[in-house]
Amino acid sequence: MWTAAVALLLTLTPGWRPGLVVFRTALLTAAPFWVFLRLLHDVPTTIAIGLRITTMVASFVWLAATLAPDRLVEATVARGWSVTAAYLFAATITAVPTLRDRARRIVEAQRCRGLSPRGSLGNRLRALRALALPLVLSALHDVDERALALETRGMVSGARRTPLAPPPDSAVERAARWALLAACVAALIWRFK
Amino acid sequence: MEVIPALRFDGVTFSYGAVAVLRGLSFSIAPGERVALLGKNGAGKSTVVRLITGLERPGEGTVWVGDWNTRDCVPEQLARRVGSVFQHADQQLFARTVREDVSFGPRALGVGEQEVERRTDRALADLDLTAHAGHHPYDLPPALRKLAALAGALALEPGLLVLDEPTIGLDRALRARVTRALLDRSAGNVALLVITHDLTFAAETLERGLVLDRGSLACDESLADLLGDVTRLEPLGLAPPSVAALSVALDLPGRPVRAADAARALARVAQGRPGP
Amino acid sequence: MKSLTLERVSFWYPATEAPALRDVSLEVVQGEVVALVGAVGAGASTVLLAAGDLAPRLTGGRIVGTVSRRDRSAIVLPTPWTQVSGMAFTVWDEVAFGPANLGWPTHEIARQVDRAMAHLELGPLATRDPATLSGGELQRVIIAATLAMDSGLVLFDEPAAELDAEGASALWRLIRALAKGGKAILLATSALDALPDVADRVVWLEDGAVRAVGTPDLLADVAACDAGLGTSVATVWGASGLPGPYPLTVAHAVRQWR
Repeated sequence: MWTAAVALLLTLTPGWRPGLVVFRTALLTAAPFWVFLRLLHDVPTTIAIGLRITTMVASFVWLAATLAPDRLVEATVARGWSVTAAYLFAATITAVPTLRDRARRIVEAQRCRGLSPRGSLGNRLRALRALALPLVLSALHDVDERALALETRGMVSGARRTPLAPPPDSAVERAARWALLAACVAALIWRFK
Repeated sequence: MEVIPALRFDGVTFSYGAVAVLRGLSFSIAPGERVALLGKNGAGKSTVVRLITGLERPGEGTVWVGDWNTRDCVPEQLARRVGSVFQHADQQLFARTVREDVSFGPRALGVGEQEVERRTDRALADLDLTAHAGHHPYDLPPALRKLAALAGALALEPGLLVLDEPTIGLDRALRARVTRALLDRSAGNVALLVITHDLTFAAETLERGLVLDRGSLACDESLADLLGDVTRLEPLGLAPPSVAALSVALDLPGRPVRAADAARALARVAQGRPGP
Repeated sequence: MKSLTLERVSFWYPATEAPALRDVSLEVVQGEVVALVGAVGAGASTVLLAAGDLAPRLTGGRIVGTVSRRDRSAIVLPTPWTQVSGMAFTVWDEVAFGPANLGWPTHEIARQVDRAMAHLELGPLATRDPATLSGGELQRVIIAATLAMDSGLVLFDEPAAELDAEGASALWRLIRALAKGGKAILLATSALDALPDVADRVVWLEDGAVRAVGTPDLLADVAACDAGLGTSVATVWGASGLPGPYPLTVAHAVRQWR
């Protein structure tokens, strides 16, 4: 119960307005779980499990919202992750907005050719296929070209990359990380005692 | 009786958030007219296309496609009157064959199957793509995919064609195919609005130039007059295409801007000159 | 000093019978701009991939003949959005991506990046997210990113495709300046009218083979005009029925006209 409250309060830390967005996203993402839980369990169990799930969801949403992707990438590089591993990690983060933009452009182009994304189920399935195929094919085609481009920009396995702006990592922060890890382990042990 | 313009912008103002992109833009295009939309990157040209296709609504003012007010329409409806091809159209083909992709538009319009065939065949023939009709679009090089996307718009047989940079990545032969196809449609009273950086292509294909500068119309006149005038083009970030520059430099009669016209004028003047 | 030599190179893409390149020989010297011209599919892009050691190493396929490079090479491909690293969230970081991968010290990276960004006038865009840029802006960023790697051999595939008239002229001037500074440049482009001012030599490719090599005057040859590869001025002159030699540019035409 307490953890849930803390987690949800944490979502407000990025600032009043963005905090509310995060808060709302967390609640909306967790909502379907509550519905299914209620269908399966009685009220007290629903609340207990529901709060746990909401806490987890809220933590992830908060993490995604506050974590600046460039700092994360720089941190992996500074930590000495191999170039390819760091790239895979970063590319996964950036892939979503890129694909989303491309999907939007494809849907717009289809609409301008008369394809209506609304209406009957048959219509919607057709619209989905008209989106999925070019999205996947162009993305795959891009992968080929991207491999070439990255190679020529020096991203070869074994490359030792200079970190551009490694996030500062003070002794206090390091200590805090270890302490948190220890606390998690302790909580697990206490749980299963 | 007054002819309804194929396209009319009436005091259109549009902003993305706080940034004003178009300010009080007004112009009209008659059926069969061939217009180039020119201007630097960021001047607002792509926004004009989005407003015409109904993907955006004007903040102020009205966009009329024929007698339809775009505020009352969704893009799927406007597809009946406007055939559009966006930049990077080669990324949006989705059917198994070129023919299937091109016929998608007319089929979505609901015209009969025979009519769909006719329109598809005509569009493919206009762009010399008939030989590739049975291929998978992604087996074609990007340049031919662009032509396939254009064929898809032609197959709609709309009253207005709006094209955003249709010639990027095309060589001279393919650009000539596009020119021929567009001139052919325009002869059938289809209005053209083409965004392009390629002034040579514009000179060959289009007759009137609208120049956008920071969201308003800096210029609206015949391309023949505009392209030969360095003093007008320079402040707009444009340079005269070679044929127009040649006409001016050699003072050819009529100041032709199209290659064929310039060749004829050159031949005539050369014949009339005293021998070396 | 030769920077790049292709000797009798033939290349087949994977699973294709017909060669993409047939017996191509060419060389690029430091300080020189060599332009590849030809119809779509003639093989210009493939030559660049082979020159940049990407074909067949990354593309797969089979190669015959030798490609020798004296300098490190960098390539600018025609579609800027596929060359974005995906690891940089500002334009500055994107341009620094290559140098960082080369392991240079930070002050050297900063020097190269600032210089490249100045060349491409990217100062105002330095803190923007590459994902929000227009095609033309992104192409300039990718060119800067490539130049920041300071390679001796720079390969360009249709670098002006997405640029407007001003951007394109600035790019051609930059390419000339790079050559003057000692770099070897191999450039594939369909902007034939710009070549007389940009290229030192032109290689005409047809169906994967070298049809002709020469100075940009090649683009005023009758054969080139007939093949659709003459400059606009030369093509008009030829079409008017006037006798050769055809003028290459407006300036040449004026001189010839007198």
